[in-house]
Amino acid sequence: MSMSNAIRTVFLKEVKDALRDRRTLMAVFISAVLMGPLMLVMLSSLVGKYEKRAEAREIVAIGLEHAPTLRNYLERQTFTVKTAPNDWEARLKDSKLGDPVVIVPFDFEDELAHGQAPRLELVYSSANSRAQSGVGTIAQLLRGFDQEQASLRLIARGVAPGVTTVMRVDEHDIADNASRAAQMTGMVPLFVLLAVLYGSLNAALDTTAGERERGSLEPLLATPASRMALVIGKWGAVFAIGLLIAVLSCLSFLPAQSLLRSESLAALFRFGWVEAAWFIGLLAPLAAALSALMMAISIRCKTFKEAQANNVVLTMAVSMTPMLNLFNQEGESTWNLWVPSIAQTTLMNRVLKNAPIGWLDVAPSLFVCVALTAAALMFVSRQLTKRAAQ
Amino acid sequence: MIAMDDLRKQFTTGRGRKARTVTAVAGMTLHAHDGAITGLLGPNGAGKTTSLRMLVGLVTPDSGTIRVDDVDLRDDPQGVRARLGVLSDARGLYPRLTARENIVYHGRLHGVADDVAHARCDHLARLLEMEALLDRRTEGFSQGERMKTALARALVHDPANIVLDEPTNGLDVVATRALREALRVLRDETGKCIVFSTHIMQEVQRLCDRVVVVAHGRHVADGTVASLCEQAGTDDFEDAFVRLAFGAEGPSR
Repeated sequence: MSMSNAIRTVFLKEVKDALRDRRTLMAVFISAVLMGPLMLVMLSSLVGKYEKRAEAREIVAIGLEHAPTLRNYLERQTFTVKTAPNDWEARLKDSKLGDPVVIVPFDFEDELAHGQAPRLELVYSSANSRAQSGVGTIAQLLRGFDQEQASLRLIARGVAPGVTTVMRVDEHDIADNASRAAQMTGMVPLFVLLAVLYGSLNAALDTTAGERERGSLEPLLATPASRMALVIGKWGAVFAIGLLIAVLSCLSFLPAQSLLRSESLAALFRFGWVEAAWFIGLLAPLAAALSALMMAISIRCKTFKEAQANNVVLTMAVSMTPMLNLFNQEGESTWNLWVPSIAQTTLMNRVLKNAPIGWLDVAPSLFVCVALTAAALMFVSRQLTKRAAQ
Repeated sequence: MIAMDDLRKQFTTGRGRKARTVTAVAGMTLHAHDGAITGLLGPNGAGKTTSLRMLVGLVTPDSGTIRVDDVDLRDDPQGVRARLGVLSDARGLYPRLTARENIVYHGRLHGVADDVAHARCDHLARLLEMEALLDRRTEGFSQGERMKTALARALVHDPANIVLDEPTNGLDVVATRALREALRVLRDETGKCIVFSTHIMQEVQRLCDRVVVVAHGRHVADGTVASLCEQAGTDDFEDAFVRLAFGAEGPSR
């Protein structure tokens, strides 16, 4: 039998076998394909809430009745003043109150009138992210009141307010929409990466350790098909299943966009067919390498369970290392493009930022993935005979 | 025809100081001819399974030669495998595939065309009385149903030589009789060379034309059941086997 025929026979059998494992496929589908868009939609509804709060222009205060001037200023700035509930401190700690609280002393107006600097308190909890996000806005608002009062005093003394201003700072944000959105959507590559990982994991285990455990490996090796043909056929099927799940995962983000609750996020998150195609193209070599590596780890194991335990290190490494990127404040380094999984997340993030990607960016990880695949498959082929008789 | 001559195999377990060498096969010789059923009879741990694994090329012998239809295993392992139909003690099936898919898959790997493999599958199903099972998934098959499927899988490429390693393990009386009948048909109608390893006396008496007795990893006697009884000087085949395998004093207790 020719090698290509044997590869085709094994490939078709393994794909059929894997696709009939409906329960496992459903579990993978839910965790790898539905989870990502669901998280994105949930995140967007959270961002939507922040946006709504920013639009609402509210300030929560205690004792503002002692400060009519301040109140007047706040109302001129179109802010609505809300009185803090009695148990505001506890609610702020428990994250039930989503705004920082301004405490105004009872002698605020008197001290202001006499030129003494009255002391306001701005209370928030850094453990309460909702309230903390509003601190900047409120602090800036209060500084505005401070400047207005200072200017009035200078004018009353016949001094131009500009005397106290020695310079101006103009802020320019050069991030374009896509890269701003990429900060929020940085988790999308992580999800498709997990889809590749968990999509191929089960098939990789089943075609190696599973085959040994159920006692079908020995009869398989008693056929005249070459070891390499068996291994390539099996790997092809594992790779195809992993890639299929990756494609579904990428495509699932297309309809998810229309469900985004945050208007600005929906406007910024551009994930169309082109981006999906880029993602799939970038993930394919990784799926190939991971499939081969998982098979190489599992072929040494006698049972499916043992193989699962042995694969934990690999799955952890692949899913955790890209997190380094999320926390890395120094931007991309050259070595990032050489390490599989980090390279793919880096490049996928570039796609989301609409940044250019050249062949030289893709080549390192492609080279590493191809080398890993070849080495792992040769290892599996060598181990196949050695382990079958044990 | 299968010829194994003076096969030897040692396994090393553990490493360093804990390393221990176990002799699994120490001079196994077996000649099985076409149109005959040759029994490989020996107590548990006598080296039967290891010998058969060496025959298929799953275990490499330390020394000795293996030839199948005059093809040497060392020169052409794939050629030897193509000439063998093996039902080993590992007879796992793919539970999500039907019996037919399991059988045809192996046929395809043996280089049999798809339509021929399907036709062979139907033929074997009739021979093994398993037509009703063919299009059912093998998940939940009984021991007998699994054995029949595994046997059909081993025979799908119509091999000239058939090797069965303890095929009746776990089978009930009806299934055992059906298997015996099928093997007789294969011997008488198609002249196959069949090697049948077992540790059960009755099976050997009822089925085998020649018997090779093995003990402690080596060949100790061979011949027909009657000639073995004669060699051992007893009418009872069980007594004859014990004397030949363990010596006149019997197994050490």
